[in-house]
Amino acid sequence: MNPIQSTYELPVRVYTSCVQKTSIVSSLVQVVREIWMTREVVWRLFLRDFTVQFRQKVLGYLWAFLGPLIGMASFLFLNYSGILNPGELTIPYPLYLFLGMTLWGFFTGVIGVVSGGLLTHGDLVLRTSIPKIALALAGTGNVVYVQLVNLVILMILCGTVGIVPSWWALTVPLMVLPLIALAVGIGLVFSVIGALARDVTAMSTTVLNLMMFLTPVAYVPKFANRYLQNIIMFNPLSHLIEAPRNVFLRGTIEEPTAFVISSLFGFLILILGAHAFYLTQDKVAERL
Amino acid sequence: MDSNWTIRAEGLSKKFGMTLRRSMAYGLKDSLSRLCGNRVPSNVLRSGEFWAVKDVSFELHRGESLGLMGINGSGKTTLLRILNGIFAPDVGQVVMRGRVGALVAVGAGFSPMLTGRENIYVNGALLGLGKRDIDRKLDEILAFADIGAFIDSPVKHYSSGMVVRLGFAVAAMCEPEILLIDEVLAVGDINFQKKCYDYLHRLKRDGTSIILVSHSVGAIWAICDKGLLLHEGQVRSSGSVEDVLRAYSDLNARIALGRTKQSQPLPGFLQSADPLPTCYGGQKGGTGEVVVHEVTIGTLKRNGTQDDSLEFGESIAIEATIDVRTSIVSPIFRFTVDAMHYKYVASVDSFEQDLRLKTIAPGKFVLRVDIPRQNLMPGSYVLNMAVCKKGVDSHLFFWFGAASFQILHPRDKFLYSEANAVVYLGGEFSLTELAEQKVSGSMPVESRAVS
Repeated sequence: MNPIQSTYELPVRVYTSCVQKTSIVSSLVQVVREIWMTREVVWRLFLRDFTVQFRQKVLGYLWAFLGPLIGMASFLFLNYSGILNPGELTIPYPLYLFLGMTLWGFFTGVIGVVSGGLLTHGDLVLRTSIPKIALALAGTGNVVYVQLVNLVILMILCGTVGIVPSWWALTVPLMVLPLIALAVGIGLVFSVIGALARDVTAMSTTVLNLMMFLTPVAYVPKFANRYLQNIIMFNPLSHLIEAPRNVFLRGTIEEPTAFVISSLFGFLILILGAHAFYLTQDKVAERL
Repeated sequence: MDSNWTIRAEGLSKKFGMTLRRSMAYGLKDSLSRLCGNRVPSNVLRSGEFWAVKDVSFELHRGESLGLMGINGSGKTTLLRILNGIFAPDVGQVVMRGRVGALVAVGAGFSPMLTGRENIYVNGALLGLGKRDIDRKLDEILAFADIGAFIDSPVKHYSSGMVVRLGFAVAAMCEPEILLIDEVLAVGDINFQKKCYDYLHRLKRDGTSIILVSHSVGAIWAICDKGLLLHEGQVRSSGSVEDVLRAYSDLNARIALGRTKQSQPLPGFLQSADPLPTCYGGQKGGTGEVVVHEVTIGTLKRNGTQDDSLEFGESIAIEATIDVRTSIVSPIFRFTVDAMHYKYVASVDSFEQDLRLKTIAPGKFVLRVDIPRQNLMPGSYVLNMAVCKKGVDSHLFFWFGAASFQILHPRDKFLYSEANAVVYLGGEFSLTELAEQKVSGSMPVESRAVS
């Protein structure tokens, strides 16, 4: 087949000095278009990394289990030794903790892969013309996989402690979306800043560790201290984690308004993050 | 209306920071001001920045190919990355019509743990081929790469040549309208290289525009019709590939000449009564009986000018000012020529040329040699000078690198065949077919051809 048959059907690309599209809407349109265009590449990269990791390690994806389990162990130790009092619970603490840790791990995992995506694929950024957003988001597949593994552990855990989740638990994947949106938005901002100034990624890890203690991951969000209670209240992460957890365990959301507001905040950050990414992405390739 | 173009670049410029710290600071600053909605003027250099590509314009039509030449650091790779959409230009714009394929360090995204076959799919996806496209072309890819049963072993066990062959084979199946190639043709054995060139010519016939970056004159000339020579980010020469290759070879020679000049000691050194070193090893030395102060090179026609570039085949006139301090019996003057990579490729000697001097008395002299014809290949050369004496097998005076000159590429000939050649040999070629020799008992022609 002759590759050139009609000129007017050919895609035309224009590279200029000025950033052409500056409105948020056009950034979003571009995100959707470019992700759709590159779905196959992203899938292939996921498959590649997936199989490679599986082949390289003796324990393979057992590591995915071990990570959260070890994280849990320290909190369980604190709890059983009486140092940590998680508050009043109607369900066994390990289950409560595991749900919180899983959701938190989802959040930080997505931030981690999205913010490090461009650096990980620096080679492809410089050698191929694959849209950078695809390379930044390519790693999220792996995080989703890890969460699916966690779901299996969760089922085993529920069986062990004899708790049957409510039917509403099936909506949890939807309820998690705002949390993921927030994580992707933050990750996108970090990915451009991180490519320009490398120490930002290290800094963000530290900040995230602090955030974990300001979020009711390992304890119940009820405090006698008003200031602490306010911090938890106004932290959108609290609601984005509490709501899915409560829905899973009890089928109810305690503070629906706060969850809706926090969700909107999450999507707003996603939109702003994507816009910031498009405004600055061309600077990234130069600094890799 | 000319609607046949595939690439149109207008005034492309790109600047970079000299140091990492600068780039980081400017990168952050630019990004922040963009986020705040400010337009950053990108057409001016700030301190610590330089133009990696400056004001490059060209147009390429369907089926045409452009050879991008230049010494290291001249901006070729940056320009290619702008065309590939990896860097955004700071000034100017480029319009690309059609799908763009890039052969920039083939095998991008190859994972050493995966087998060759698995990597074909990954690499193909990166180049824009779907799974079905690759399934359809798999046999063709395997035939092109020609690595046999190794296709199912992990790529980390491949030789570097096999990796490149596989990478090229995948890229070859994309059939883009525009193909950007950066220094990847010099791989594989002769058969594979021939296959690559055949493939590129087939693409060209089908209308693909090719941009090839290479230091190899042979590769550029084999593929390209047009050339673009970059120097320090700017277009030094553009036009037909032959003209640009000539300019490139002259530029190379000029740069080499600059290097030899830099390594020479400053004038004034050893000019006065300084004792000459009496041992070999330095640039200059001798017994002190005679000292040569200056050697200049010109042509018979343009004598006296300081221009050290000579046309191909042009006459050469050498002049040396000589200070004879004690009288010398039977002196011999000798000049030798060093080429870029070889020493003593030519010599001219007063005794050989039948100048039989008896004795020269102390005083100042001008020595002149006229060489009416020469056939040095284009390039840069260094002239050495020696004063000897008949009957003594050592130098009274020697001066390595006394002068240097450049032979320019001829306008009427295109000398591409051998970059290392020093002497041009003119010759008339003819090809005549041998009459078939009928030797009794030999097999008939037809059956021999079959076997």
